[in-house]
Parts: sequence; C-alpha cells; structure tokens
Amino acid sequence: MYLEIITPEKKLFAGETDLVKLPGTNGSFEVLMNHAPAISTLSEGKIKVKEPNGNIIFFEIQGGVVEIKSNNIVILVDSSGLV
Amino acid sequence: MANLKEMRLRIVSVKSTQQVTRAMKMVSAAKLRKAQDAIIQIRPYAEKLHEILVNLVNQNGAADFENKYAEHKEVKKILLVAITSNRGLCGGFNANVVKKVEELLLTKYSHYFQNGMVDVLAIGKKGADVFKAKNIPISGTIHQLYEGLQYSSAEKVAQDLMNSFETGEYDHIDLVYNQFKNAAVQKLIVEPFLPVEIKVEKPSHDDAHHYFSDYIFEPDVNEIMGTVIPKSLKIQFFKAILDSVASEHGARMTAMHKATDNASELVRALNLQYNKARQSAITGELLEIVSGANALKGS
Repeated sequence: MYLEIITPEKKLFAGETDLVKLPGTNGSFEVLMNHAPAISTLSEGKIKVKEPNGNIIFFEIQGGVVEIKSNNIVILVDSSGLV
Repeated sequence: MANLKEMRLRIVSVKSTQQVTRAMKMVSAAKLRKAQDAIIQIRPYAEKLHEILVNLVNQNGAADFENKYAEHKEVKKILLVAITSNRGLCGGFNANVVKKVEELLLTKYSHYFQNGMVDVLAIGKKGADVFKAKNIPISGTIHQLYEGLQYSSAEKVAQDLMNSFETGEYDHIDLVYNQFKNAAVQKLIVEPFLPVEIKVEKPSHDDAHHYFSDYIFEPDVNEIMGTVIPKSLKIQFFKAILDSVASEHGARMTAMHKATDNASELVRALNLQYNKARQSAITGELLEIVSGANALKGS
C-alpha cells in the first residue's frame, strides 16, 4: 500500500509500505493491506513505517489527520522530525 | 570644460545605479523562484485537507455540524489584516494594499469605521509606515514574520487571530493581500478569513470516485472537524503570506526591470548630449587655432 506523509512545507515520505502504526486520538492503531476507508485524527506520538524491504522508519509528530482509502494512506502532519 | 566633466560624472552615476537595479532584479528573480517553490510545496497538503473536509461534509451534511470558527455572529467589530512587505522598491505593491484597506474603510465598512469598530493589523513594515503617514489607526504590526518564513511562525499568528475571533474580540476578519498570478501580475484580493465558509462544490462526475463516502470516522465527525477546520484556516493564512511574498518579489522584479530600462534610456540620451557638447568644443578649439594662424599669417 502507498503511504504519503505530508507537512505544509514538504513531503516527508512517499512510498510503498507493508505496515503503518499510527498514534490515533483514541489510541494507537495499525494499518495493513486492504484496510477499510477511514479518516482519523492523530495525537502526539510516533508513526512507525515498515517498508517492503523490512526497513523500519519512525516519525515523531505533534498531531495530524490521516485518510485511508483503497490502500492509499495520506497522513497530514503539522511538523515532524525523523527519529 | 566644467560642463563636460559634470556630464561625464552624471553618466557614471546613472550607470552605477543601473548596476544596482540590475542586481536587485536578479536577486528578486532568485527569491521569486524560492517563493514559488514554497507555494507548490503546500499544495498537496492543502488539497488533501480540502478533500478530507469535503468528504466529511458530504457524508454528514453541512447543516448539522457546529464549529466555533464557523459561527456567524452579529458583527460588532471587524479586523482587517493588511499583508504587505518589509522592504520597499517594489512598485505599487504596498501602496495597493493600503489603498484597498482605505477604500474598504470608507465604503463597505464606513459605518463601523466611523464608530471606531474596525481595527487594522499591518503585517509588514512598509504597510505600517504608510498607514501611519496617512493617519489610519492600526491596532498592531507584525513584521518579524518574514525573517526565515516558516509554517510554524505563520501558524502562531493565525492562531492568535482565531483566538481573538473565538473570544469575541472580533466578529469578522478579512485578509487583504496580493495574490500571486505570475511574475508580472499580482491580483489584490480581499478574502474573508473568519467566520469560516465551507464551500462544498458538488463533485463533478469525473471525480465522483474521489469523494465516495463510506468512511469510518475516528473518534467522531465533530472531533475531526474540530481539528481539520483550524488546520485549514492556518493553511489559508500561510498561503496568503506565501502568495504575498511571491507577489512582492515579482513586483520588485518588474519594478527593477523597468528601472534598469529607464537607466539605459537615460545613459543613451546623456551620451548623445555629451558627444554633441564634446564635438562642439572641438570645433570651437579648431576655429580658434585656425583663426589664430590666419591672424599671424596676415601680419
């Protein structure tokens, strides 16, 4: 599934992933292939991204919104840093 | 030949001014590129945010959601945010914003203005200076925003504006700024900032698949609205600032281009004048010599 992490200033990440773990407002959750369409708010925490080659990347965020739709994930974050 | 020397100096000075304006034009062109890039950078974010907003409204109907920023209150006090630049030499860029604000104060908002119910917030030093010179009262100035412009700093200003709306200090906020069209064209616009109008255009048939509505909302629609609307307001404000910055560099580029052209024209005219004066001086000298020689021969 295709993941994009976007801030107002730049695109932090764009690429294929196997698994994305997100700090939802109601608790952390994971997104795998064929997840149902959803829109959720995110709170402060870490986004964990697992790439197809097994690489794991973390992004620290202050908050944001995520939209999941037909194996496309778009995460809008205010500001973020690679960890 | 004091006259010739003076003219020579004048030509040199015009040429050096031309060099300055040419350099400024180059600098503006480079900065314009950067500013344009920044506008392009926020586009994906802004578009996605809008899409989410449209999805939310489509699925739930615009009527039954409530948000503190969308509330239409009875308008008692108005804030005009005039976005100008910190630096001058950019043609009518700043003057246009000030003129527009003045026009608004005297026409659309004249009733409020007479009762002292309109405040003007000047962003950018130049705007603030002109307002002061014209005796238009301003409630505040912000000019540190442009030093290394970042989303986080623009966000803070937007948050302050939103807070003042929320507390009821102002019931209506407009942004007045130059929208960026292309390097040579800026469009001056007045854009309502608060309260929020959520425009939902019916999705055309082609992008209907963009806006299909069968989402799971976490935690719930109102909560998401509560985070998405402030975000979109901040983006709107940030975009206005970026547009204004790009317009400023575009305007300066055009102004400096014209100045450089004018300088070339001036140098050309001065050179012609100088050469004429030089030639007539030489003719005069030759006449003197010839007539001097003739006088000697005759004696």
